[in-house]
Amino acid sequence: MKTEGKPMATQSVHQLSESARRAIGRVTFVRLTIYYICAGAVLLLITGLFPQGATGPAPPPAPTDMGGALSWIRGQLSLFPHGTPVWVDAAVQMISAMLLVLPMAFVYVRTRTRVKYDHSIIQTVIVLPIVVCAILVVVRNSLALAFSLAGIVAAVRFRNNLKESGDAVYIFGSIGMGFATGIHALGVAAVLSVFFVVLELALWKFNFGAEFEHTFARLCMPSGADLAAISSATGEPLPSANLKEEPEREDDAARNKLVRIYVDQVEQARPLVEAVLERDAKSYALAGTRPSDGGPGILEYRVRIRKRVDLDTLRERLLREGAPHVVAADESSSTERL
Amino acid sequence: MTLATPVGARDHVQGSASARVTLLEYGDYECPGCGRAYPIIKAVQKAFGPNLRFVFRHFPLVTSHPHAVKAAEAAEAADAQGKFWAMHDRLFEHQDALDDMDLRRHARKIGLDLERFEQDLRGQALQARVRSDAEEGLRSGVNGTPTLFINGVGYSGKLEREALVLALARAALKAAPPVPA
Repeated sequence: MKTEGKPMATQSVHQLSESARRAIGRVTFVRLTIYYICAGAVLLLITGLFPQGATGPAPPPAPTDMGGALSWIRGQLSLFPHGTPVWVDAAVQMISAMLLVLPMAFVYVRTRTRVKYDHSIIQTVIVLPIVVCAILVVVRNSLALAFSLAGIVAAVRFRNNLKESGDAVYIFGSIGMGFATGIHALGVAAVLSVFFVVLELALWKFNFGAEFEHTFARLCMPSGADLAAISSATGEPLPSANLKEEPEREDDAARNKLVRIYVDQVEQARPLVEAVLERDAKSYALAGTRPSDGGPGILEYRVRIRKRVDLDTLRERLLREGAPHVVAADESSSTERL
Repeated sequence: MTLATPVGARDHVQGSASARVTLLEYGDYECPGCGRAYPIIKAVQKAFGPNLRFVFRHFPLVTSHPHAVKAAEAAEAADAQGKFWAMHDRLFEHQDALDDMDLRRHARKIGLDLERFEQDLRGQALQARVRSDAEEGLRSGVNGTPTLFINGVGYSGKLEREALVLALARAALKAAPPVPA
């Protein structure tokens, strides 16, 4: 088995970090922007139609008084000029909470992989602010209700292991959203939503802090430092080759193959086959053989193909250079070993 | 079951006549079984490379597959323009789209002269060609599709990649190795 490539010590940390960079994409950006514009318009409309408290029949404002003009417009828009009923007000708050938390759920999906993804978190993130908001509407200014609530919460045990510690941030963000909308601080809720979304996407895109060497170099080293310099600065040994584990994993399926070679005589074919593998495979290992008892013999190899060679080329070379002993070379999909 | 009519000049062949093993398929473009066999045969061709010759003959099952005959004729019309295998692949890859409009679309996609294609389809020659393949199949004992022959002998094993590769390898080793050039 051999390995090839540039030694890790001479690689720049900036080169290493290239592999970890993720693209957010125009679609995500455009969708979020359009969503926020639409949600903002809807929120302005519903808070105008159902304002908190009584607006009363306001007198027409002076032409220069912008604030007065807005109040007057809201007074004209309001469906309940003498005070919005509590249940309508609660519904408005809950709808606001839902509208502002949906982008957070979207960002959760966008920044997770299939392995890290937890669908229950998405549902929780969407529903939780509505529940929190409802609780705040109920409790409002009553100290007695607040104590009752504390008692009830203490009686209920929540036990849930989150897949990712980052998931907790979404839960807290969602609770914060519920609090903000529950106390009619819609502006705070909107700022929280936008700030949360932008920060989460930015941290995910740059994978901030994920690679120690890269983060250390960015924060504590002059630009262009290589891994050897970081190693001496931290007093720790060089990182192992698994630093690039993630990008390589995607490549593995394409490069790591189980190849079955059908031959007339196993002993005669094997050196010919291995001469090809020696040249065209980064590594290979004989996984099994079946002697040619009246039928074809089989040589089965686990092969990691070199980047410059694809499976078809390898097969073609095995057939040509292994002739006349090699009759076929097939990628094995069988889980049954020889 | 043995092949009554050996592979000849009029057959649709992929691979060299000096290949160590010949796989012949009697197939129907609308048959789901043939559709499943199609990628297996493609994989087998890759596995054997120059050691395998593949031959395709028509055996449209007219009673159960209403578009099969027309599809076979379309493949023959493509053959008249030197593009039998391109049409063959396209038909198997679009088995759910074999009506007249679809065949026209396939012909356009593979770059056939549409006017000539339609003219050939209207003629009797292609029908006779397809019927002749099917009659030869019947003489060889074919009664369904896909039916495979390996070096002229009917294959009765499972239609799975590994089983087929093994059967072909066995047949290839029984045959005399090719003389080096």
